[in-house]
Amino acid sequence: MSEKTSEGGIADTRKRAPTTEIEYPNSLPRPEGELEQLQKVWEPPRGLRLFSAVNNNYVGVYYVGASFLFFVLAGILALVIRTQLAMPENAFIGHELYNQLFTMHGTMMMFLFAVPAVEAMGVYLLPNMLGARDLPFPRLSAYAFWAYFAGGLAFFCSIFFGLAPNGGWFMYPPLTSTEYSPGINADFWLLGIGFIEISAIAGAIEIVVGIMKTRSPGMSLDKLPVYAWAMLVFAGMIIFGFPAIILGTLLLELERAFDWPFFIAERGGDPVLWQHLFWFFGHPEVYIIFLPAAGMVSMMVPTMAQTPLVAYRLVVLAILATGFLSFGLWVHHMYTTGIPSLSLSFFSAASMAVAIPSGIQVFAWIATLAAGKIQFKTPALFILGFLFIFTLGGLTGVMVALVPFDWQVHDTYFVVAHFHYVLIGGMVFPLFAAVYYWIPLASERPLSERIGKWVFWLLFIGVNVTFFTMHITGLAGMPRRVYTYPQNLSWGALNMVSTVGSYMIAAGVLLFLIDLARNFRPFTGNNAGDVWKAGTLEWLPSGNYQTRSIPHVASREPLWDQPTLAEDVVAGRYYLPGAPTGGRETIITSPIDARPQYLLKLPGPSWAPFLGALFTAAFFMGLTIKLYIASLACGVLAIAMILWWMWDTNPDTADHPVRVGDKLELPINAAGPASHSWWGTVTLILVGATLFTCLVFSYLYLWLVNGEIWLPSQQELPTLLWYALPAGLYLASSAAMAFVFRHAGKLPGSNAWPLRLALVLAIPLMIAGLGASIYGQWQTGLSPTQSSYGAVVYMLNVIQGIYVFALVLMGSFVLMRSLTGRLSASRRASVDNTTLFWHYMTAQGLIGLSLAHIFPRLVGMG
Amino acid sequence: MTACWHGAIIARGVLLAAMVLAVAACQQEGVPAEHRIVDGDPERGRAAIVAIGCGACHHVPGVRGAHGVVGPSLDAFGHRKLIGGVMPNEPTILVQWVQDAPSLIPETGMPDLPLSQAQARDIAAYLYTLR
Amino acid sequence: MWDWPDLGDGIQSVLAPAGPHAGWVAHLSWLIFIGGGLILLLVVIMTTLAIFAPDRWRKGIGQRRTVIIGGIAFPLVTLTAMLVYGLGGSAALVSSPAAALRIEVVGEQWWWRVHYLDETGAIRLVTANEIRIPAGLPIQFDLKSADVIHSFWVPSLAGKLDMIPGRVNSYRFAADEAGVYRGQCAEYCGAQHALMAFYVVAMEQDEFEQWYADQVQPAAEPDLPQFEAGRELFLTNGCGACHTVRGTPADGVIGPDLTHVGSRVSLAAGTLPNNVGTLAGWIASAQHLKPDNKMPSFDNLEGTELRAIAGYLENLK
Repeated sequence: MSEKTSEGGIADTRKRAPTTEIEYPNSLPRPEGELEQLQKVWEPPRGLRLFSAVNNNYVGVYYVGASFLFFVLAGILALVIRTQLAMPENAFIGHELYNQLFTMHGTMMMFLFAVPAVEAMGVYLLPNMLGARDLPFPRLSAYAFWAYFAGGLAFFCSIFFGLAPNGGWFMYPPLTSTEYSPGINADFWLLGIGFIEISAIAGAIEIVVGIMKTRSPGMSLDKLPVYAWAMLVFAGMIIFGFPAIILGTLLLELERAFDWPFFIAERGGDPVLWQHLFWFFGHPEVYIIFLPAAGMVSMMVPTMAQTPLVAYRLVVLAILATGFLSFGLWVHHMYTTGIPSLSLSFFSAASMAVAIPSGIQVFAWIATLAAGKIQFKTPALFILGFLFIFTLGGLTGVMVALVPFDWQVHDTYFVVAHFHYVLIGGMVFPLFAAVYYWIPLASERPLSERIGKWVFWLLFIGVNVTFFTMHITGLAGMPRRVYTYPQNLSWGALNMVSTVGSYMIAAGVLLFLIDLARNFRPFTGNNAGDVWKAGTLEWLPSGNYQTRSIPHVASREPLWDQPTLAEDVVAGRYYLPGAPTGGRETIITSPIDARPQYLLKLPGPSWAPFLGALFTAAFFMGLTIKLYIASLACGVLAIAMILWWMWDTNPDTADHPVRVGDKLELPINAAGPASHSWWGTVTLILVGATLFTCLVFSYLYLWLVNGEIWLPSQQELPTLLWYALPAGLYLASSAAMAFVFRHAGKLPGSNAWPLRLALVLAIPLMIAGLGASIYGQWQTGLSPTQSSYGAVVYMLNVIQGIYVFALVLMGSFVLMRSLTGRLSASRRASVDNTTLFWHYMTAQGLIGLSLAHIFPRLVGMG
Repeated sequence: MTACWHGAIIARGVLLAAMVLAVAACQQEGVPAEHRIVDGDPERGRAAIVAIGCGACHHVPGVRGAHGVVGPSLDAFGHRKLIGGVMPNEPTILVQWVQDAPSLIPETGMPDLPLSQAQARDIAAYLYTLR
Repeated sequence: MWDWPDLGDGIQSVLAPAGPHAGWVAHLSWLIFIGGGLILLLVVIMTTLAIFAPDRWRKGIGQRRTVIIGGIAFPLVTLTAMLVYGLGGSAALVSSPAAALRIEVVGEQWWWRVHYLDETGAIRLVTANEIRIPAGLPIQFDLKSADVIHSFWVPSLAGKLDMIPGRVNSYRFAADEAGVYRGQCAEYCGAQHALMAFYVVAMEQDEFEQWYADQVQPAAEPDLPQFEAGRELFLTNGCGACHTVRGTPADGVIGPDLTHVGSRVSLAAGTLPNNVGTLAGWIASAQHLKPDNKMPSFDNLEGTELRAIAGYLENLK
């Protein structure tokens, strides 16, 4: 297929080849009715059916809007906090509400605003910027959005019932254990946030596959917009960072619900384990929020200065370096826990090293501003504001990375000031810039430049008044998270200044909402278009189907380098100018050099993601408020919805290839690594493997910290039979699955029953392996509640069990596909992906067994 | 260092504005002649109230954090007719009362407090400004 | 209404150091504030030049070279210098001279249990919410927790160190001169985290020794009939179930040791000044003044009874 592509592609236009020399993929005139058909298949739903919209132009706008709603709500909580602290010994609100407010403010800003907001911008912008008609799994992004929105709203509403979590946004046990937090407040956090993280991971998988597989032909990695690079690293960081906190919340919830003592020191647990798991996620989290914002700035600065970004390669390298380094710094939130000074030095150095990639980006933006000529539009103001605030926050970040200084300012208002500078500077200002910058894509009218400037100045001055003062408050000795403070410590005036500043910020946000109400008109079918004279693909004239034809990209700023590009794209001279299959579709390209591989048929509006998400949210809420039966029913319904939408995926490749250019025909599916679904599965396995690795770390960590009471000496280990038996069952199951995989290649030519029989064998073998693994421990009398050793050994099986549950669903799905004649050599994505996951599960099972049986013998226990 | 002083200067500016707005209720001018206390300084009295911790038992208007519920609220104390529900509200009695209440009413829960005569006068002066 | 922010003179301020540990960090702080301020200024100037300077200058800035010098070379040099300097100093802090005294502090929701230890680690003196130390000598603090995570912090003397269940964290610091310093819990520990403070009182060495000698004594016999009555009421109301007053039958260990409570600067872990009035208020309305703490409000007492107990306790000097 790829050979055809290179012939069909157009000449490299980077050297501004005269337009006459371009060989267009499609000739003019276009057939009658082609455009009308394209418009018809992409026609958006109306009325109530807006809830069933799945394409990114709709879900993206909903998603950004919802995240902004949570920003405003969490901001209102902050105003209440600031009002309480305006004066010493204030009696405005009591400690109960205050402790819930700061917990909710932090949690919502991080989990319901910051991460979703940047993810939402990605869902909206990436297809536009990459020249795709949509993301590869539109129903997955719709599901992720609705799950987040429903779950987030329910989570927020807990504050009205006095049930909001009150353990601080990092929820340190033992304060959050049943003993010290007996109410269900903490469960709201654990289940609510755990669930919203799953939604974030779903979005991240979508973004990785979207960036790797749905770029315009010709957009090789070296021509990828910086924003897409940033989103790729962002999604990668979610994939490797979020599993740690998901595991953490699982462990803590199991401890709370069933008394498995992972964090209880007297029974061999350790509260600091939570801190490691939390910050292994929590530190990358900061960069998860910052990188997409920096990526947006790298798109806006060149437009505002009307010149390409200076040092593109260095900036991309800086983004990648930030991604790697950010996983090596989590301990810098734990300097005061009494960690040995050698490791402190290492983490201190790593924390400072991460300042260098940020420095590279800051100076690349400054150099770009110098190379071009800035237009002082509202986005430019926000970018300059961002440069100042973020630089200041970065500098205080370097300060707190210095261990002795951190010993003083850790958990004081200095740190509160620092991270608000970093997060507001590094994320909120770029986001406001981005909203002002990209709203002409989504809305019929751009926002007001006049109001925009007011919004900027109110926010800029407000933020500095509020948070600069807090540095001093912290140095004057005020710890964070106190609902009151004495009047004789000179903190009153400083706090009053911060409160006044916070109301200025609120005024700025209010003005912004007014601007939105006056000018934001989405979903009208028209947009304001390229008001900034920008260079990248999202500014091509577009409808709900994005661009009329999908351009061939030959440089980083195609609109600047190919002056007739917009015209030619609209005329339909590029790829896929219509809807040849009669449905929604986009081109799948190869991951490195973006050669067309096949045509992906995309789904239209569907109720399955919306309903599936509501049922999933209800499942988790049911668990929280202990309505187990209703919860279970919702869980089953949620799975049914997901299977419903999975059912019509993977059409038969043997169907006729489709013409997307005069000389280019593409099949409508692919198998193995060329397939977008294979990429999705591999990414999902990475998530699962990371979570499991975190559990292995937890096992080893508990042994290291509490070895002597961790495994009680009278506890005997199971005999090695209980190691060999489950291992053998797992391997046999995998062997059966390997047979299924091979046999699928012979279909439809040969009999399908051997495949079905092997599948029917593989599923119970896997379950039996898990059962034997658990029974082997159980028969020695080991209990998960007696010590953290028991808890963590059973936890290995719990994780295995959760994955096996998914595996059984997948296996049954394959079986159903086979029984209904939807499985053949040319239509085998379900069997490919299931086999991949199956073998991974066997490998994980073997590692888990070795850890439980071999490791204790190696270190001389049992 | 510069940054710090800037913060302090901003803080001072805002404070100045707040001070101008602050009610000048702390002088004895609004207090009727029969409730004025010679050499009593209400502002010093308020500081003494904070230092001794009257708020542990009393709600004292104008004193931050004084929300005690053990003794009576001192809201509008300048209009109060009786002290301890027994004696007339007169300066000489009040000064003795804040210093050594049990000497006037042995059943009271209010202890004799470690206050100097001057402090007691200041506190009494402050209480009479509460109107 | 408000005090001026007086940063150089506070009793709980990083910028008002009163010991070698805090002194060195304050020195380091000013250094990095000035350095950070200069770097911020540099970025602002560069940005201004990039926008407003004559074209010739801007052309010079608008190059890859700027990114390499400003974004890589410059931070590499400054960060390395800062790291070496900062870590060198903290190594010196950690390896401070042998301790003259060992004090174990146990964080509890929401107060501090204080144990003075002898050389063998045995407890010699129990007190609460106030730590008296001899000025000028390095003191070792062994930090523990009885429930959740707390963090021990006296900004004017040293940085903070967490109190974690199942662990003992230790460090040493000293106060240069006699004086009163305020400390506060720095790790959020639940409902009344805000009201979990304490005082460190540094004394001249001989005064400290006198104080210590007094403190190890049991409570003195009441010298007035009303204090005698107060002691009776203290015992009959069951205060001894939670509190210890050495020399009396009261030997509870749930709450603070009250043997010499009258000698302390504050009440209820820095919540109130300490005198007979606040003692009475606290006894009668502990749940109102510091909700959710473990002490009930004794609102069953008559006025004279309340005064008697408060007077007895105040007299426990």
